[in-house]
Amino acid sequence: MKLKKMLFAAVSAGAMMLANPSFAATELSVQRFFGACDADFGTNTDPTKAVGECGIITSLINKFNADNPDVHVNVTTVEWPGYDQLTAQFASGDAPDIVTIHESVLSDYQSKGLLMPLDDLLKSVGVTPDAFTDAARNGATKDSKIYGLPIDSWTMLYHVNMDLFKQAGLVSADGTPIFPKSPEELLAQAEQFKQKTGKPYFVQNLTNETALYTRNLYTYLFQQDSDFFADPKHVKLNTPEAKKVVEMYKAIFEKGYTTKDLDYGGSINAFLAGEGGVHLNGTWVVGDYNAQSETKGTALNKGGYAVYPYPQLFGGTHAQYADGHTWAVSQKDRTPEQIAAIGKFLKFFADNDFEWSRTGHLPAYKAVITSDAFKALPHRNTISAVADLGKPLPSAVQRQFAIQDIIGEEMSAAISGQKDVDTALADMESRVNELLANI
Amino acid sequence: MSAPAASIKGRAFGDHLLLALVLLLSIVMIAPVLWVIGLSLKDNAELMADPNSVFHAPYTLKNYINTVGTSSVFIWVRNSIIVSGGLTLGTLILSSLAGYGFARLNFPGRDVLFVIVLFGLAVPEQAVLVARHQIFSMLKFHNTFQGLILPGLSAPFGVFLMTQYFKAIPKELDEAAMLDNASRLRIFWKVLLPLTLPAQATLGIFTFLGAWNDYFWPLISATRKDMFTLTVGMASTQTNFAQSEGIGFLMAQAVFAGAPILIVYLFFQKYIVTAVSGAAVR
Repeated sequence: MKLKKMLFAAVSAGAMMLANPSFAATELSVQRFFGACDADFGTNTDPTKAVGECGIITSLINKFNADNPDVHVNVTTVEWPGYDQLTAQFASGDAPDIVTIHESVLSDYQSKGLLMPLDDLLKSVGVTPDAFTDAARNGATKDSKIYGLPIDSWTMLYHVNMDLFKQAGLVSADGTPIFPKSPEELLAQAEQFKQKTGKPYFVQNLTNETALYTRNLYTYLFQQDSDFFADPKHVKLNTPEAKKVVEMYKAIFEKGYTTKDLDYGGSINAFLAGEGGVHLNGTWVVGDYNAQSETKGTALNKGGYAVYPYPQLFGGTHAQYADGHTWAVSQKDRTPEQIAAIGKFLKFFADNDFEWSRTGHLPAYKAVITSDAFKALPHRNTISAVADLGKPLPSAVQRQFAIQDIIGEEMSAAISGQKDVDTALADMESRVNELLANI
Repeated sequence: MSAPAASIKGRAFGDHLLLALVLLLSIVMIAPVLWVIGLSLKDNAELMADPNSVFHAPYTLKNYINTVGTSSVFIWVRNSIIVSGGLTLGTLILSSLAGYGFARLNFPGRDVLFVIVLFGLAVPEQAVLVARHQIFSMLKFHNTFQGLILPGLSAPFGVFLMTQYFKAIPKELDEAAMLDNASRLRIFWKVLLPLTLPAQATLGIFTFLGAWNDYFWPLISATRKDMFTLTVGMASTQTNFAQSEGIGFLMAQAVFAGAPILIVYLFFQKYIVTAVSGAAVR
């Protein structure tokens, strides 16, 4: 009798375990940056109620887990950008299944065979590269294959204090800001701005910074059709085109047309306090600045806030440097169930790109960027052009974060007068080439 | 005015000057701490718009609630305590034994071995990082406590410190104990080790602080969330633009991460002051 009871209990327990859907769920490890916000959004499964990068991505993954009981995603958040950790994980054979990687960094891992090409998997779940915007497709494609599901495009923008622009007489009759069309015009407008407002035209974070300098240089090299990375293993930066850009920023610095000695946080505070006309910052602050402009008593509420892509200052193709975030998949042996689960996850993010675009980043999908819902978001009508203008470095260029640091350091030295422009450009070129030669 | 009176007045003035200087230095030292605490009690959005808002209400505990609300934060505290405690204990044991050996025992190759240990002081961690990471990968030590503790046990500074300390203790003490038929281990444990307590405290405190604040090795060895130490875990919760958009949260994290050290200091204040002043004299 006792044995019967025990058998019955064991069978019942087994049946209950099998009946629990999570018991059979396929586990996926997902690693991402964007921070943790468990206290606010840890249990939220409605992305429409979330705000900010962290809130939206947390809520999206919660929703995915809720909607797909046959898959369970375990999330590890890492400090931005997380590449030291990821490299160490690959080295120890313990890489996550899915991981956030910048488009500019994909080739570092893809070139070593560490990432899985996604073309077939995406096709199997109904996501095709022709659905991506040009900027997103170019950024995620390496050696003619897709190595990351693009979720956005981001770039640097002209964030404008319209009150100061009005004071400076730099607003046209239709209420839009007047931007320069050449370096000379930029300097002239900056002088006019300074004379009329007593403030610098630009708010820039020039302290503890390399990325801003480098992105500015890339953008204005693209606008001169400079093919500085014709050979992805050898850069040409000691050129007349690069010299024009560095000298322009040097003049801006020397003539006091920009804030100086501000770090990133300081530059945001300065712009929000109305200390300058144009803040060079990314897509990610559009939401915050818009909220400020809607708050009474703030500097941006006084005359309004506008945001635009960089103006075309040179005679070449209209373009500007852009990057993007992707979900990449590590290369490892997997069961068909695991691959199917990864496909589901990627498809889910492709389908929910609008929610992600509420962060301020631009959508990676044509259908979203042309949708009424997206256009209805504040300022998207002026910045969505970046989806066409956005241009990454050639996909085969490796170590782009390290290159960014070198270029930024040398530009900073040239602009602040620590080095003359020619020496800085020569050093920049040789240091980058030395880095690339040792890969 | 008589000479003694002038001397007293002069001394009083000097004392006052010294006191004013000490007060000024205290303010300089405490100001950043108060600044951090003040920022941690402000809303992130308010700080982003106006950093001076730290000087006036409203204040909030939201940043602390968010810090503690991160699901794994107490696991990370536990991990840091295990790693820092284990590393400190192991370093004290190994350094004391090695220091005693180098100071008191004669064995072939002792001096050469000591020089090799000293060479360890000149090798930066970065130089051995890749090799160590590979070895630990082969041994499957990543994402384990031994993976986080073992590298720190190689402590040439600790061995050097303890060797010098043991050398400074008169050998007559050993000889007297030997006459009483005490074994080497007994002499080490009962006679010499208690005399090295100031050095132990110095080494222990610096080892514990170093391990508690260590970031880079835990970053690449403990890549699983449940094995993060507090430094890595805290960093992982920051948003991309934490220094501008999440400064209040960042400061609350700093207070939270620093609090255990402060508590350790409050309990062991006497030993820490003795240790640090002893280290300075030495």
